[in-house]
Amino acid sequence: MSFDPRREDYLRLGLRFARTLDSKDPFGAARAISTFSRRYDQNRDALPQSDGDRAFHLVAEATDLIDYQLPFASDEAVQPLLDNAGKLLDEALDLDAHCHDATRMKAAAELLSFESYYRFLEANAPAVRESCLRRRDAAREEFGARADLAGDIALRPYLRWASTEAAKALICGRYTKTIELADELLELDPTDQCDVRFTAALAFAKLEDEAGLERLARGRNVRLASSTGPEHADAWLLMARVALAYKRRDLTCAREWLARITESYPHALETLSRQDELPDGVFARLAVAPHSEDELILAVSEATVLLQEGRDENGRGTLGAWVAAQTGVPADASARRA
Amino acid sequence: MDASDELVRRLSLKRSDKLGHLSPEGFAELERSVSKNPSLFVDDEHEAAFLEVGKALARIEDSRDEEENLDDDAYLRARRHHLDRLVADCDRALSLDPGCVDARLLRVLAADQDPNEALGLLLELQQEVEEQDGPLVVPDSGDAWDDVFSRPRLRLDAAVARTCFDGARYRLAESSCRSLIEHAPSDLLGARLTCSLALARLEDEKGLNALDVRFRRAGNAWMHLSRALLMFKLDRLGAAQRAIMGFANLCEGGAYLLVHPTYVDIYLPDRPSFKPGSFEESLLAVHEADPIVVDTPDFVAWASTLPEFVAKAQGFDDGADAGW
Repeated sequence: MSFDPRREDYLRLGLRFARTLDSKDPFGAARAISTFSRRYDQNRDALPQSDGDRAFHLVAEATDLIDYQLPFASDEAVQPLLDNAGKLLDEALDLDAHCHDATRMKAAAELLSFESYYRFLEANAPAVRESCLRRRDAAREEFGARADLAGDIALRPYLRWASTEAAKALICGRYTKTIELADELLELDPTDQCDVRFTAALAFAKLEDEAGLERLARGRNVRLASSTGPEHADAWLLMARVALAYKRRDLTCAREWLARITESYPHALETLSRQDELPDGVFARLAVAPHSEDELILAVSEATVLLQEGRDENGRGTLGAWVAAQTGVPADASARRA
Repeated sequence: MDASDELVRRLSLKRSDKLGHLSPEGFAELERSVSKNPSLFVDDEHEAAFLEVGKALARIEDSRDEEENLDDDAYLRARRHHLDRLVADCDRALSLDPGCVDARLLRVLAADQDPNEALGLLLELQQEVEEQDGPLVVPDSGDAWDDVFSRPRLRLDAAVARTCFDGARYRLAESSCRSLIEHAPSDLLGARLTCSLALARLEDEKGLNALDVRFRRAGNAWMHLSRALLMFKLDRLGAAQRAIMGFANLCEGGAYLLVHPTYVDIYLPDRPSFKPGSFEESLLAVHEADPIVVDTPDFVAWASTLPEFVAKAQGFDDGADAGW
């Protein structure tokens, strides 16, 4: 599960709404709760909310523009979309100066090199962590019976911050650092809501650390939020295994792991042949259904760091060229679709 | 590879074996005669083939000088032609001695193909040589390089290591380099250079330090660059800055070359020789490091924010301009 900002907005308001209900009138409360969903859909702004909730709602709207509309926008629509998103994020920060998601998303738009964005995330991570932990403790106290959920939601901005930092560390070529960040996050949130283990799997493959990767794979089905089950290894883990087998030149084994991908994901051959590189989600990794075609497209895009490595003439990277050749999809066919 | 020197050594050793025990002076005298006219001393198909390899390498060397002044299209055509001719030359050597390792190695390298394909062929060749000649025997001196007849196999091993590296197989590159260093500790083929880049890419700080100590911290362009990359990757920017300035100050043109990547053609069959600290050394190190520099996308941009680094790059550029 990655983070769906709409759902998170809904949860935040739901928590606050439940808190306003009279605990001495359980039947009235149950009735009110049953109306919440309708009220959220019809008149969200009339529901009780804090400035922090309002700010988060604006973040959710900005995310919709940047992560979900921008990739499909026409050229002339791009700038107005970005301007709108920027305004929403500014407003969010006016309402809640500690809206870390908004701060982070604004920085992503302003800091154009991988390194400068990584530096920014790295420099501010301790303060964001501190702030989110404080908010988590406060939320736990405030929301009594729903302390766990409230605390969890309060911590999420930091999980997103640090998992973005891990993803940028990977792109910057800082693999040990990626793994350190993932370890910290997995300790903080053993359910791994931000799926940082996906990023860590790619980093272990970059370091050619087979033992590390298998440790990660074994640890992953303990208490994970996305219950894909041990028999359904995710595409990131599988791509990491393909790369490791290829790197130690066990091509039979690399083909077997590739076959696991094509068995588990629809239209996998086309995706593995095309190897599209997509922009990363700015709020968080895009929310897609587990084991969907889209999930594989995301994983292959993130695995670009593995695919496009080495000296080769066609610019595809040596593993990328090999994987594409294995799919049997002719190069011109994938070019037409791209 | 200095083929003519190796040929003289090989022919002299074989002839002296035939002649029986020679005094050191006698052997030196024999070597002088051989070097004046090696072909007179060729007694078997192995040396006949090796003589051909030497000629082929001299030809490709000359043709590379010719290529330098051509424009892009003409260059590519000429280069292809010269490589095809090298393959034909190697085939002639192989018709004399099908087991000639250098000729077979050059044939694979001259095809200039994807590192994955090339590695497959080189590993096959390695295995065939091992089956035919048995494991590499290290002489009493402790260094396989001292046995001139083992050198072709060592060159093959070094090519395997570099091809692993170019194909992003860094652990394999590292282990190939280590085994080469074990067999030939003098490391005239520079396995330690490839090894240092692989260790930097794998972020193996302990490994890189140990390698540096093993070679008495002698320093070279590869090690300086490896250290700078490693420190940058580990996010220790102060140390990275000192290391990149070490590279810029000690390796001629190093800063300039990092900012202005310069084309280097394939090695036939091994790394061209260079003077320590020379521009050629920097050129080769930056060229070999390219895949791992690219893997750390903002490394060069970061170095270019350091005023002293920029001054060094600029200074070299100005000097080079003045020199033209």
